[in-house]
Amino acid sequence: MNKITDKITHWEWLKIAKPARYMGGEVNQTEIKTNPQLRVCLIFPDLYELGMSNLAIKIFYEILNNQPEIMAERAFSPWVDLETLLRKKGLPLFSLETATPLNVFDALFISLPYEMTFTNVVNLLDLSNIPIRWKERNSGPLIIAGGPSAANPLPVSTIMDAVLIGDGEEAIVEICQKLLQGKSSGSTISETRKSLKSIEGMWVPQFPDKVKRRIFTDFSKSTPPEKLLIPNVQTVHNRAPLEIFRGCVNGCRFCNAGFYYRPKRERNVDCLAQSARRMLENTGEESLGLLSLSTSDYSQLPDLVSKLEENKIYPEQKISIPSMRMNENTIKLLKNHKGALTFAPEAGSQRLRNIICKNVTEKDIFDVIEATRDINYRTLKLYFMMGLPFESQDDLDAIVELVKKIEYISKKMKPRKQISISLSGFIPKPFTPFQWCKQASMDELKNKRITVNQGLRNTRARLSWRDEYLCMLEAVLSRGDESVSELIIAAHKAGCRFDGWNELFNRAGWEKAFKELNFEPEHFSQQFSLEKMLPWDFIDFQVPRSFLESEYQKAAEIAGESIS
Amino acid sequence: MNQSNDTTIKITYGKNHQARYIAHLDTIDIICKALRRLKLPYIVSQGCHIRPKITFGSPLPLGHASRCEQFIISLARPVDPDWLKNNLGDCLPAGMDVIKVEQPAPDETKGANGDLVTYLLGFSELETATRAMEFLNNPETSFSQLSKGKVKNYKIGNACQSIKCFEHLSPVLIEAEFVQGQAGLPSVSKIITALADSLAKKRDNLVKIERISLIKL
Repeated sequence: MNKITDKITHWEWLKIAKPARYMGGEVNQTEIKTNPQLRVCLIFPDLYELGMSNLAIKIFYEILNNQPEIMAERAFSPWVDLETLLRKKGLPLFSLETATPLNVFDALFISLPYEMTFTNVVNLLDLSNIPIRWKERNSGPLIIAGGPSAANPLPVSTIMDAVLIGDGEEAIVEICQKLLQGKSSGSTISETRKSLKSIEGMWVPQFPDKVKRRIFTDFSKSTPPEKLLIPNVQTVHNRAPLEIFRGCVNGCRFCNAGFYYRPKRERNVDCLAQSARRMLENTGEESLGLLSLSTSDYSQLPDLVSKLEENKIYPEQKISIPSMRMNENTIKLLKNHKGALTFAPEAGSQRLRNIICKNVTEKDIFDVIEATRDINYRTLKLYFMMGLPFESQDDLDAIVELVKKIEYISKKMKPRKQISISLSGFIPKPFTPFQWCKQASMDELKNKRITVNQGLRNTRARLSWRDEYLCMLEAVLSRGDESVSELIIAAHKAGCRFDGWNELFNRAGWEKAFKELNFEPEHFSQQFSLEKMLPWDFIDFQVPRSFLESEYQKAAEIAGESIS
Repeated sequence: MNQSNDTTIKITYGKNHQARYIAHLDTIDIICKALRRLKLPYIVSQGCHIRPKITFGSPLPLGHASRCEQFIISLARPVDPDWLKNNLGDCLPAGMDVIKVEQPAPDETKGANGDLVTYLLGFSELETATRAMEFLNNPETSFSQLSKGKVKNYKIGNACQSIKCFEHLSPVLIEAEFVQGQAGLPSVSKIITALADSLAKKRDNLVKIERISLIKL
């Protein structure tokens, strides 16, 4: 086989940061099948270190490679050093398993976990010599996307052949069956696209129609991926991920994931304990991550944790719980906690927390901090949002007051806690009760951030914030319509990629793209009318629009305002 | 923990092909995971962050192949070396293999005063190999490299202890013995990078860089 990696010399590889990112060969990599009937590539449009931590890639890799007629490989975005080299040498981007150019595959399945990867998707296609718009493609791989950022597929509608809305476990096999049928019957690319329409959850831009979000109803009975790849380069989450439940019942009114993954489906404790054992035996990972949107809300969490503690396979085995809420379950777990503690009160005042339906009280926060008095952790990280609907100056002041109170309590604790505050601007996401809301302008967000920063001046809290321009851009990319596709393509042409990386974010490139297309970002950050259809209303999200409206109404009532 | 029955075992492994590009700390991580998968009865360190008690040899520079990488692990009870050799290899990524499992020498884990390292360098043409011989064989050879943002000057001095060329082989092989880890001497990694730089466009003729032995001094 003609491997692309062989066309790069040893000395060229040594100029590339972490070359092992691009070479594959990890433990538990799938066997190379000779002449599989269908070759697909799973793509995560960011670096290997992030992609190898992504749960969707692990799930689909195992599901697809368990099908004898399918071989699924992986590809990630190359860092700028490799991209420059590939372009200089005229080489296409390639898969990790067999170093095959991406344009040779039957399909590319692209995971879209966050909007800031959209220019990377364009870059991946461009680097693979694949025409970027579906209208320009008459052959080559089908480009199919999915993931929470594709909940509103319109911003990528010019690019993708098809988009899956919702859970992918069953749909991805059905897609592959359609592709196999298309291959064997010699279907044209257009015929194959049309055939994908019949799969629940699939939206095909060439044949736009209503679509119903796919829900994996058998999630509770399903087994999580157990034979996970062991990365050859340290990843951002160095742990074996065990998804204990999917969905969330909290109903935070700003949260896209909370609605995208509905309904809540829990896996059984005994099955999870067995899967955890097999996962750890197969990977040797030191840490087992109990994953979900809000792990403390797992109904049998103490039981699960004690089962896992009782059946330790090796002495240094740890349990990591990355997503905790401030509640009783959390306090029970904290006695064994070692790392930094991270919580997201999101708002400083009880009034605003009630408005956004963040079911946390000041007492919950203080109880958790008090409960950690004798625990040897050093950093307490708190996430807040600014520019939330119905926010007032008092709500911003309340962030400062809350941090000051927390600092006062933690002063008496040993070791003394470092309080770290992360501020981010609110983004009105589709399919949430706040999807109609206006986003605060960049100037407003900046002023709010300065207010909080000045309020915390005399404290030891460390403040970090998300750039206001990024917040505005994320609103455009998540609330956009078809026109945003061309904006993304123009931004890529202007040099934008890795938009989620501060060191590579190219604001001038985006501004050039906005100007070139005469594009008004404010159009997508404005208040949307309840009377009008939203661009994404053709999707049956399995959360009725009337429910979202009533939730928005409730929020307004708490604020004492009207939304009509 | 009662450690009266503790035993140590030395594992020699190789890194070739794509595994040459796995960095030293990532290699350690991969090996620790492999040892856990084997459920080896290793002793763990005490303290907050408990880890298997393992001593690794000098880091292998990124991009260099090797057939003499080593680590010594403390075990609570002896294990069958053949079983370990056969099974550990299956838990390692492509390009890494277990070469030998044995009892370490009694003074093996003691502090070392530098290393005596032997390398095989392969060249696709004799002329480049001859230039490399001249470069390495001359104690006056000097070069400069960036180190922590500053340009530093080095001289090979007596870093290259012995060198011989096997002209009749294809690729042409140079076997060179270096001392490293001693004051004033550049590391083998720096010397080989400088050699490649000195070869300029011919550096692609240097087709093999393999560490074949490492003895602690």
